[in-house]
Amino acid sequence: MINFNRVWALVIRYAIDTRHNYDRLTDVFFLPAMDLFVWGLTGLYLAQLTNGSENYLYVILSGLVFWVVVVRAQYEITINLLVELWDRNLVNLFTTPLKISEWISAFMVFGLFKAIIIMSFSALLAFIFYGYNIFSFGGYIILFIVNLLLTGWAYGFILGGFLIRFGKTIQTIGWVGIMLITPFSAVYYPVSILPHWAQTVAYFIPSTYIFEEIRRVLFTGAVSYDKLLISFILNIIYLSFSIWFFVWMFHKSRRLGLGRLI
Amino acid sequence: MEKNIILEVKNLTKKFNSFTAVDDLSLEIGEGEVLGLLGPNGAGKTTTIHILLGVMEATGGIIKYFDKPFPKERESVLKQINYSSTYISMPWLSSVDEILNIYARLYEVDDKKKRIAKLLGEFEIEHLRKQQFSFLSAGEKTRLFLVKAFLNYPKLILLDEPTASLDPDIAIKIRRFLKKEKAEYNVSMLFTSHNMSEVEEMCDRVMIIKSGKIIDQDTPENLAKKLHNSQVELLIMKDNKIAENYFKEKKFSYTVDRYRFVISLAEQHVAEFLQTLTSQNIKYEEISINKPTLEDYFLEVLKEKYD
Repeated sequence: MINFNRVWALVIRYAIDTRHNYDRLTDVFFLPAMDLFVWGLTGLYLAQLTNGSENYLYVILSGLVFWVVVVRAQYEITINLLVELWDRNLVNLFTTPLKISEWISAFMVFGLFKAIIIMSFSALLAFIFYGYNIFSFGGYIILFIVNLLLTGWAYGFILGGFLIRFGKTIQTIGWVGIMLITPFSAVYYPVSILPHWAQTVAYFIPSTYIFEEIRRVLFTGAVSYDKLLISFILNIIYLSFSIWFFVWMFHKSRRLGLGRLI
Repeated sequence: MEKNIILEVKNLTKKFNSFTAVDDLSLEIGEGEVLGLLGPNGAGKTTTIHILLGVMEATGGIIKYFDKPFPKERESVLKQINYSSTYISMPWLSSVDEILNIYARLYEVDDKKKRIAKLLGEFEIEHLRKQQFSFLSAGEKTRLFLVKAFLNYPKLILLDEPTASLDPDIAIKIRRFLKKEKAEYNVSMLFTSHNMSEVEEMCDRVMIIKSGKIIDQDTPENLAKKLHNSQVELLIMKDNKIAENYFKEKKFSYTVDRYRFVISLAEQHVAEFLQTLTSQNIKYEEISINKPTLEDYFLEVLKEKYD
């Protein structure tokens, strides 16, 4: 049984850390804003080159705004895990009645909050500066966000599994690991532009379907529910496996002693 | 009346490939008992404590808290015990208040505001409530660890070097607090420290651990008594040459630094030795007789390790 008091305690712990940590505040506001300005302006330029078609701009802005969800969901697992190692607090945590399932839940809840905050902030900037209205996607937004969150969590727990087993020696994967799936997710371009072998890989990544559907809505106003369903099924399979993997690696690590990670 | 057993460990073993860190270790801690775990660095003390807390898995053996198997009953056990160590840390950027509130939530302390205020007062760090952890001195951090350790009204507390890096006056206050908790609430403690006088003062029983094995256990007084020799320290100004010749002739075990002689003697021979000095007309200006302490015993154990 998950104890929600303990989950909430950790959500507060990570929120406090974010509030006090300028690096993490930069992650929340500065980087998304800069991304939006640089790539938004690039999109504007492309739109001018193609006789004012705003679709290019909106493809880029949609990519930026929605990709934030995957990145955040993953980061909030790996970075908060690393925070416990950097703070040498892991042994303290697991000498309390805290369960691994509660820790996992806290990562997911905090990731959800932070993804929504950053996505809203990016969407607001995109609206103010480029007139891009995320609500033009209507109810599809919910389906897109849920699927992208699941992708981010699944990937986060895989990377988190390696971190809890091998510790700070491989800490870089906590923030650059996402780059491994970014090119295949076809965030800013269609899958068809990828080489054939890469297209095969891309269709094993659930977020690819979502970005394809986001572009479909932009260009046609409709979505393929079959594609959304494939994405959802893949997400459920990957997330289940990734949580199992994370727990398995945690137990492997505990066999050697969590104290060695600090 | 039979004492309630709070912690029972049987044949605990931890192996890392061919290296055995904890070797068939068994121990018991009764209600209100303070057990000291002493041993040289690398003896297996921290490994044992980490296994007892569930942050490391044992290779073999049985652990029971309050007669409940551990780690099977991990959640209910960890609600009733706590831990403090100078070797770990806490959320670096959070304030004292924020940290304690988080831990009080994790332990589901009902009266957390009152409890935190009381403990901060007991450990004299009330004024640091808003202070960020990273700005605390080593001694203040240690006191914060202890506040955390007592948050959940633990029945057993595992203390790894609890007074390391504290000023002597604060260390005394903390020992006083620990004794009070033991007396008022029957709190049991598993205690490791490199401060032998502290161990002698605090512990009802001491276990000496070496290479993962318990090599001896008894009360601190009885362990010290296992060393039979006392140290007789004499300041001999005038008759120092005669004294040195006499000690050599009688083959006493002694050291000399100018006029200061330290003679190692079995306790029962001290009186006779002093009489002989008088009969030999050897006059001394100062004398002190030091009985063997737990520290002497511990050093003896260490010596055996490196010999």
